[in-house]
Amino acid sequence: MTFSPFATPSRFTPLPWAAVVWLCAGGVPAVGTAETDVTNLGSMLDPLFRDHCVKCHGGGYAVQGDVDLSAVRTADDLTSRPELIADLLKAVESGHMPPPEEPPLDPALRKGVVTQLESLLMAAAKAAKPVGTPIRRMTRFQYDNAVRDLFQLAFDVHPLPERMMRDLNQYFDPARGVLPEHVVVFSRPLGKDGDGERQLRGTAPFAQDLRAEHGFDTQGDHLSMSPLLMEQFLQLARSVVDSPDFNRDNVGIWNDFFEPPPGPPEATSAAVRDRLQRFLSRAFRRPVEPAVVDRYARHVLASVAEGTPFVDAMKTAAAAALASPQFIYLCDATVPGGSRLDDFALASRLAFFLWGGLPDDELVGLAAAGTLHEPEVLGAQVERLLRDRRLKRFCDAFPIQWLQLERIIASEPDMARHPSFYFAEYRASMHMMFEPLLVFEAVLVENRPITDFIDSDFSYRSSLLDGWYRDGRAGHGEVSDVTMRRVPITDRRQGGLITTAATMTMTSGPRQTKPITRGAWLATVILNDPPPPPPGNVPVLAEEPGEDEEHLTLRERFEAHRTNPSCAGCHRRIDPLGFAFENYDEAGVWRDTYPNGRPVDPAGTIFGDHAFKDIVGFKDALLAEKDRFARGFAAHLLSYACGRPCTAADAPAIDAIVKASAADGHRIQDLIRLVVLSDTFRR
Amino acid sequence: MPSSHTRRTFLRGAAGASLALPWLESLATAAPAHRGAQRLAFFYLPDGVVRRGFFPGEADAAVPQFSNGKTAVNVNDGVAVGLHPLTSLTPTQAPLEPFVRKITFVSGMDRFYKNGSDVHAQCGSCFLSQATAHSVKDSIYPLARTLDHVVGDVVGGTTPLRTLELSCNSHTDNKESMYFDNISWYSAGQPAPSLRDPRKVYARLFGTGGAKEARSITDLVLDDARDMQKRLGKSDRDKFAEYFESIRSIEEQIDRREKLKVDLSKVKLDLPVDSHLPRGDYIRLMGEMMVAALQAGITNVATLMVGAERWDTPFTYEGLFDKPMSHHQMSHDQHQFTKELLALDRFHMEIYAHLIARMDAIKEADGRSLLDNTLFVYGAGLGDGATHQYTRLPIIVAGSGGGRFRTGRHLHCPDGTALANLWLTIAGTMGVKADRFADSTGPIDALLA
Repeated sequence: MTFSPFATPSRFTPLPWAAVVWLCAGGVPAVGTAETDVTNLGSMLDPLFRDHCVKCHGGGYAVQGDVDLSAVRTADDLTSRPELIADLLKAVESGHMPPPEEPPLDPALRKGVVTQLESLLMAAAKAAKPVGTPIRRMTRFQYDNAVRDLFQLAFDVHPLPERMMRDLNQYFDPARGVLPEHVVVFSRPLGKDGDGERQLRGTAPFAQDLRAEHGFDTQGDHLSMSPLLMEQFLQLARSVVDSPDFNRDNVGIWNDFFEPPPGPPEATSAAVRDRLQRFLSRAFRRPVEPAVVDRYARHVLASVAEGTPFVDAMKTAAAAALASPQFIYLCDATVPGGSRLDDFALASRLAFFLWGGLPDDELVGLAAAGTLHEPEVLGAQVERLLRDRRLKRFCDAFPIQWLQLERIIASEPDMARHPSFYFAEYRASMHMMFEPLLVFEAVLVENRPITDFIDSDFSYRSSLLDGWYRDGRAGHGEVSDVTMRRVPITDRRQGGLITTAATMTMTSGPRQTKPITRGAWLATVILNDPPPPPPGNVPVLAEEPGEDEEHLTLRERFEAHRTNPSCAGCHRRIDPLGFAFENYDEAGVWRDTYPNGRPVDPAGTIFGDHAFKDIVGFKDALLAEKDRFARGFAAHLLSYACGRPCTAADAPAIDAIVKASAADGHRIQDLIRLVVLSDTFRR
Repeated sequence: MPSSHTRRTFLRGAAGASLALPWLESLATAAPAHRGAQRLAFFYLPDGVVRRGFFPGEADAAVPQFSNGKTAVNVNDGVAVGLHPLTSLTPTQAPLEPFVRKITFVSGMDRFYKNGSDVHAQCGSCFLSQATAHSVKDSIYPLARTLDHVVGDVVGGTTPLRTLELSCNSHTDNKESMYFDNISWYSAGQPAPSLRDPRKVYARLFGTGGAKEARSITDLVLDDARDMQKRLGKSDRDKFAEYFESIRSIEEQIDRREKLKVDLSKVKLDLPVDSHLPRGDYIRLMGEMMVAALQAGITNVATLMVGAERWDTPFTYEGLFDKPMSHHQMSHDQHQFTKELLALDRFHMEIYAHLIARMDAIKEADGRSLLDNTLFVYGAGLGDGATHQYTRLPIIVAGSGGGRFRTGRHLHCPDGTALANLWLTIAGTMGVKADRFADSTGPIDALLA
């Protein structure tokens, strides 16, 4: 089997320091007593540095773990480096520093240090230059949505396998505030195509965008243009308007744009200008200048004068708009002085965040009126977007990428051990993937606390999944129209997203679970604290135990196997997060013992002082630290929306979001509204 | 009009590269175009090879372990450093037997590894990179314009496509980032994406592809781009240059295509079928289309990735294994999968040999074969898939680049020889005037005729 524990990208920029905090989280022997200079950092940090840090991390001796604090003398040395403060804070606050071999921190000192570091971080973040998002092209998913929005197209431009779950019974209506008890869905990547799924015939999509190293496919640093892609954009733009399905029946704006205007030919010029003015302003998400309208109009009128039918001339103009950089690129224009996004850019950012496509007339109208950035106006717009069916696009992108759910597509548990995972030519994973997506949608539509993602009292199951959770034997497996029913969950081993069959299966190999992969997944997805990539010489653990290992549990095999002491630092943190799930086998089925008869031992300790005996205790520990999860979740939302990883400079914004949402238990719509109203989102 | 410096930041590498790497100023000054059509192509293998099958003198070496890559590095293979006549081939290399006088086997070359990024991601993305370990500040990858583009800047000036990028990654799950899936980069952060679908490759190479229709709208969109550029800040304007460059390259392409009449009967390729191809047929077909593109003058520089790095999803290797297998997963466990891995290495080598045969059968106007006029490099970024070592890499160069390489030999380099020395040699052979490439210490003149 592979033993690549961090097969998944992480969401934050992998700052050297973040890696350092992981790497040096233990296991580094002290070299000697440092005769270091005295620091002047304040009443709490001075004793911390003197007694607990510089022995290994600065002074006259070899610097351990690449962490050198010897240059830190005064508070100014810290405030100029917010990332450093954030990592110090994380190391101290989470209990990972000092390592267990070293004298522990006095609790009062720890508390004081945390308070002081927090206020230093706030000061540093406020002083830091705001991070902008680079100009970037739309993703394929956004492009498809935007083209639909622009023409009011009745269906998708081209197939989008990135959308993992299709709504077959129009269940998704967030205005109702509740997700129905029965939903009918199907999966394109794994299942049979549903009936009636249509696209524009004759169009050729460009390739799906790969995930960014640090997370979502929206990330600006990963969305570039190339000649190949430009060719594909040009051809796609042309093929959209040339499709036999691009006609009066399927194009909502047909009569207002493509239909030849009535009246004498002299009136045509004015009509064309008027139509292009509206069309281009919608395509480019801001009012277009008369010169631009003139340019397009000249093109259309010249074609018509040469004998091109009016419809075709307008199609060419429309195709040009679809290939225009002002359509394809998202760029975040600011008000003069650069203190915040201008209202049109804000309308775009909000629409692409929650609708994955173009801002509608109301948003653009508020931007034109110059009021969109006002908190009450903006807040009301968030509420409106959250009630619109277009919110489904957010559900088709964010949760899949946040949970890394594409990984289920390639999961293939051993057929001999899990025969009913395979039925006809399909796999149970097709049903599994719906469950976390529907729980996510229910939490979103019903404005539930995000703690439901850890531990919920309901879920969505098909009859196949009912059987799966009962005893690992699938019930009847539908292959196209899958009915998922809402079920109450009383057994806390189930419920939430983190212990679903989908997440457990996709973080396993064919014949055994991968606790390190699971731990890395949880650290990345739930805590937003991804471990650094493992060193290149990672040892391998065989898929099957060796002859001398048959009597061991997986945990014992790992421990026997782990000979490299430099691994211990990270693994002390990852392992408990992964071994907590050991009662779920490689296909997510509950087990109390391993195949060799030995009992499963999921116990561990997280965050320094939350000991747990089993998965329910683990969920309790996560719930007790729900603000950590909320911070991570808010950062994921911000990163997805803004197209860039969060940095330490965003910490004050994230803190403010989480403090405000805590009042009502971190309800997801509150979090989304607070994210949109945050400084990070608006600049 | 966009200013010349923004136009030159992306496709024309010289100015763009020098923005990031001032010492490269002199690197890509174009040689005169009268050199004739020399070609450069790469056949990139992910996840390394099994050393015992590939390298002479290592057949009986211990199965590599993960505990420490260095132990595997220092295998004493008994091969003397220096040049040897290439007289016998190892089992993995055996398919190259008919061409043993037309290839150069290079062993013992190393690359640096920059800490902080995944070993597989860096392995593929930085294989052809001209960056040195610490020259790139804003990325964890030591990545800059790659060798294929540096050469394309010089020999791609008259072909419709400056370079061609192909990949046999047919996975449908979106599992890995772009760093695992691209060996060809315009610059750090800007991959030259590859085509994976044979029908799309065919259409791009030999079809009209709607390029003419595209031209009907390029005037409008270029004007939009100029408007937009005025609103952008400095850093966005630099990135936005990619749009101008892309449009302009398409216009050039259309012009050059009109002059270049490709005789489809000569390249002997039909439109690929619209159905699943067995893995071997698929890789072979992608390779054949690459060869056809080089033959027809559609491009002079091409890269072909046999697969993406890591990407654990199993492939069905028809005729090889009875169930889907993951190259990467197997590569970690050479105790259990030696037989399968050796078969897979051999499977890929047979395709490489097939493409060499194909190239050698094509006679060019100067009387040489296409192979003779090409440098066709086989290589992996890892010296071994189990140890993930960046040392003692498996490299073969087929062809002589128009008689410039003296072939039929094996060069065994001393430990620590930079792979970049070979890249510098190749770049020079292809007409790039440069003193350095990445961490090169100098060209390997011994390889030349």
